[in-house]
Amino acid sequence: MRNYGPIDDVTVFELYPGIQLNRDNIEHYRALAEQQLVINRCQDCGYWIYPHRPMCPECWSLNVKPEQVSGFGTVFMFTLLYQLRDPKSHIMEPLAVAAVELVEQKGLRYLSRIVNCAPEDIAHDMPVRLTWIEIGNLEWPAFEPVPEGQR
Amino acid sequence: MARHPLRDTIAVVGVGSTPYGRDLQRSHLSLGLEAAVNAIRDAGIDKQEVDGICGSGMTPLAQGGAGFLSLQGSLGIERCTWGVNSWLGSAFVHAGAAVAAGLCDTALVVQTYMREPNMSRSAAADPFRRVLEQFSDVASDMGGGDFAKRWVHSGEPYAAWMKRYMHDYGTNKDAFAYMAVNNRSHGSRNPAAVMQQPITLEDYHASRMIWEPMQIYDMDVPVDCAEAHVITTAERARDLPNKPVYIHAMSLGGTRVGEFYENTLGWTENSHWVAAKGLWDRSELRLDDVDLFYPYDGYTIDAVGCVEAVGWCKPGEAGEFLKSNWDPVDNILRLNGRTQVTTHGGGLALGRAGGANFYSEAVRQLRGGEGSRQVADAKSALINIGSFFHDPSAVMLRAD
Repeated sequence: MRNYGPIDDVTVFELYPGIQLNRDNIEHYRALAEQQLVINRCQDCGYWIYPHRPMCPECWSLNVKPEQVSGFGTVFMFTLLYQLRDPKSHIMEPLAVAAVELVEQKGLRYLSRIVNCAPEDIAHDMPVRLTWIEIGNLEWPAFEPVPEGQR
Repeated sequence: MARHPLRDTIAVVGVGSTPYGRDLQRSHLSLGLEAAVNAIRDAGIDKQEVDGICGSGMTPLAQGGAGFLSLQGSLGIERCTWGVNSWLGSAFVHAGAAVAAGLCDTALVVQTYMREPNMSRSAAADPFRRVLEQFSDVASDMGGGDFAKRWVHSGEPYAAWMKRYMHDYGTNKDAFAYMAVNNRSHGSRNPAAVMQQPITLEDYHASRMIWEPMQIYDMDVPVDCAEAHVITTAERARDLPNKPVYIHAMSLGGTRVGEFYENTLGWTENSHWVAAKGLWDRSELRLDDVDLFYPYDGYTIDAVGCVEAVGWCKPGEAGEFLKSNWDPVDNILRLNGRTQVTTHGGGLALGRAGGANFYSEAVRQLRGGEGSRQVADAKSALINIGSFFHDPSAVMLRAD
């Protein structure tokens, strides 16, 4: 893990200058800086809340706190990008982007890259697990296939 | 049936369009004003009769666009009692609702679209387009460096949905291919269309891969253009020069899945299904009565979703349905042997207008003056415009 020192609010803003940080999502990015994936969770009924919103849609509790997720999930849907929205970018091989359904809750999905897997081997409902990749001098979440023996 | 006080009480009386082009070297406002002037003149009314405006874009004070405040000032319309900006399917519905509710008597809808810098290298090289994007209120790729927010207002999940749809229903790309060929065939007969060349099924399958399995011929064509509509009361419409085209019923549709598209609900739960049910709960005309069908084609999977959402066939069966309703002579769809689809070429051929040109074409066809392109005896049109996730509409238009 990188040592960013005490990750106070100022540091989070410095680390993620391109992100629209706010009171509802800053804990998520503070955790990312420590290579932890956290998702808001209702402390009253246990419902996971994503995107990062301040109220539980199930019970209307405002007692919502980020909790670390297990990092295991399945590929709900995916596409292989042969062209990025930035027309100046050139992709040598297709970039895999997937909505990963986390095991914590049905419909709880996190958008991420699929890595350590040939594009043609990615399949719907394939078990995946959290890993980290470096982009722009920061560590970001990505998902990789769970090896056969560990599923 | 749902409560439905607006049935046939409002009508479209004016339609205006600009030319469509890849690079018209004009601003949003310039395009919007041309369409607005054309629509008001087409309606045969004085401009001061307009007392409500639905402009383009998201926020009232955004500059560089064709928002309702900029439009009102530019057109020299003295007083409006209603105004809002909107897009996709919603804009038309908001304007109709405002007239039906009595917030205004005559509403002008203006929708402008421009080829954005993230859509091609040449567009990205154009400083006018770059600056426009820089100051726009809603940009693409809103994640700002966080890959997890990449699908906030993104087209990529539509590609993922194509793949999931084919996986879940054990089907192939037929549905998308027939829709693409249909729209390009109609485009080849529409002199205004940017894409004049028809394509074959083979052309479709051979086209460049963008976001697998989505290919370039699955995607609408980015252009500079604008469309405008004038909506007023049915009573007033009967005194105006054009044959009135009545708004028989309409609905929007929202689901609990908002801007983070990876949270998508199931295929049959997305916003088009909600809008379709809202329409069928209000319309006295049923699917068998529909003479013309206009499903939004931002991507072919939008149109395929609309085909299934309004009930032309069961979920997952659009491929077989479109194949068996294919006219191999004209290379177009004729649903149940007769109902033509996207008769102007839509976004895939005429050009990308967020669905606004579907409303324009439907009104023109129902008036009955489209010459060699006219569909004989067209009395009703079903229009479905919008995203799987936001701003979908289902609108039934009819004429006497």
